[in-house]
Amino acid sequence: MAHERAQEVALPEPPSGSIADSFRKALPDVEFQASQTAMDVALAVRREDLLRVMQTAKEHERLAFDFLRCLSGVDHMDGLEVVYQLYAYRLGHSVAIKVRFPYEDPHVPTVSHLWQTANWHEREAHEMFGIVFDGHPDLRPLLTEEGLGYYALRKSHPLAEIEDWQESYLVAVEQAAAQTAAASGETAPSAASDERAAKIALAQKKAAITKQVREEAKAKGLSPEEERKAVTEALKALDEEGKGE
Amino acid sequence: MAIEYRPPAERELETIDINVNVGPQHPATHGVFRMVLTVDGEQVVDCDPVIGYLHRGAEKLSENCDYRQCIGFQDRTEYLAQFNAELSYVLAVEKLAGIQVPERAEYIRVILAELNRITSHHMFMGSFGSDVGLYGTSFMYAFRDRELVLDLFEEITGERMMYSYFRPGGLAWDVPENFRERCRQVADAARRGVEDIDGLLTENEVVLERCRGLSPVTPEDAINWGLTGPMLRATGLKHDLRRAEPYSIYDRFDFDIPTGAQGDVYDRYRVRLEEMRQSARIIDQALDQMPTKGPIMAGGMKRILRVPPGEVYMRTEAPRGEYGVYIVSKGGEKPYRLKIRAAAFSNLSALRNMVVGNYLADAVIILGSIDIVLSEVDR
Repeated sequence: MAHERAQEVALPEPPSGSIADSFRKALPDVEFQASQTAMDVALAVRREDLLRVMQTAKEHERLAFDFLRCLSGVDHMDGLEVVYQLYAYRLGHSVAIKVRFPYEDPHVPTVSHLWQTANWHEREAHEMFGIVFDGHPDLRPLLTEEGLGYYALRKSHPLAEIEDWQESYLVAVEQAAAQTAAASGETAPSAASDERAAKIALAQKKAAITKQVREEAKAKGLSPEEERKAVTEALKALDEEGKGE
Repeated sequence: MAIEYRPPAERELETIDINVNVGPQHPATHGVFRMVLTVDGEQVVDCDPVIGYLHRGAEKLSENCDYRQCIGFQDRTEYLAQFNAELSYVLAVEKLAGIQVPERAEYIRVILAELNRITSHHMFMGSFGSDVGLYGTSFMYAFRDRELVLDLFEEITGERMMYSYFRPGGLAWDVPENFRERCRQVADAARRGVEDIDGLLTENEVVLERCRGLSPVTPEDAINWGLTGPMLRATGLKHDLRRAEPYSIYDRFDFDIPTGAQGDVYDRYRVRLEEMRQSARIIDQALDQMPTKGPIMAGGMKRILRVPPGEVYMRTEAPRGEYGVYIVSKGGEKPYRLKIRAAAFSNLSALRNMVVGNYLADAVIILGSIDIVLSEVDR
């Protein structure tokens, strides 16, 4: 991972008289952490309060947020976050509501009954981050196939390294080659297929080592940066070993 | 000898609902899209859109590229309105990094974005005509004018499709010297072409019969379902981000916001047609106001752009609606998280609500009236 472990930077407080004050007035018992982003005011709320805050945001006449513009999941590496961008057509103001929760318990209440447009956005966040939206009518994967087994947009998912499906693909290629060799009655494989088999074997070895090192690193609790380093070192060692032979 | 008609037995004929699979390849959709329709005779009782065939993970890829490399993904996300998508992205980065863009670059960006809106609507006009059942003619009219604009884009950027021309801070390079004359030329041609399309489709018997009153949507529903852009304005709500939350230099132009009355398919078409005229108006004004000389890149830009920590949700009015770019930066040269709020994604998510209760043959027209770009839906 190219990113270092998230260092939190405090964003500035919004000016008084902003939408944050309207929220505090409408819900005096809810704790809001307000910050000013480059365009909107962002309000971080606790997960327990989320549903109440959203309901009030939609129904309170001074807030009247009738449009959910965007819903995005964010992986902060010390937890997950969902960011809701809201807009009020009648009053012309906007706000971002944020809610944060740990990896172990990735549950948030759904808002798809308040804004129907949240339906697909939540499905996407579910398949990409593994966030479970409690009460959502239909949490099937939207963009990817079912039973993928990993969450692609989490920071712990690597971008480009040998992955499991590639490994099984290589095995399938090898088996197919063996079958054709047996069918044609060839006993001694030609030099070309020998070379290919060696390449496949090397790739498989690398994949196995990568997987093993990564699992070890995870067990030790290393940061993704260190984990990556360990993988590179292990692969380098393998290369040198190959040259030595 | 006449045969006496006997009605069937007392019991009613048993009927069952049938699942009809439309797609994944369908000539009316550019890109690959599938919907599973449950029909009761001719009537659609359920619709399950299946998307994701063009999912390439542009958001994940962007996290691993620096801010300049991400521009390319914007083109590939919204491949019919590339300049609009790029504009949204570069504005987001500029907002985060606090970059002031030179006047001349702003004008060139607006002109190109509006021209791109025209070409995007050309695409709609062409495919809409063939969805309705006027094969070929509308495509010919629309693509004749679209080619002229694409030629201009090619002269400027060297590409017909993936321009990668806007940069955080300005533009990649200056426009050719005859930019002003060429723009006027293509804008005039587009304006004349709009009249042709208007004459062909607006009063067309087939279009009127098939599209008027088809799947009307109320403004309240449209907002709740997340419709934006022409789909929203067709319902009668006068809302355009260029006016409501002016970005770039859109507050300097005088233009009308066309709206429909019922939110039906016909209104969606009418709104888009009028938007093409308004875009031409904006281009004229921008060409008049544009300074002849001046820098096209903000001063003091580093080779590698480093953006301070922060976050921004930048939204612009793209041809299909609100195109939003949400960037979380934790410092450094790469975005920590980049989310694209695609207008077509949200518009398409309301497809089920619009299709159910209509005839199977009309489902394709309704789908066409959303004006989807599947690469934007799937990202």
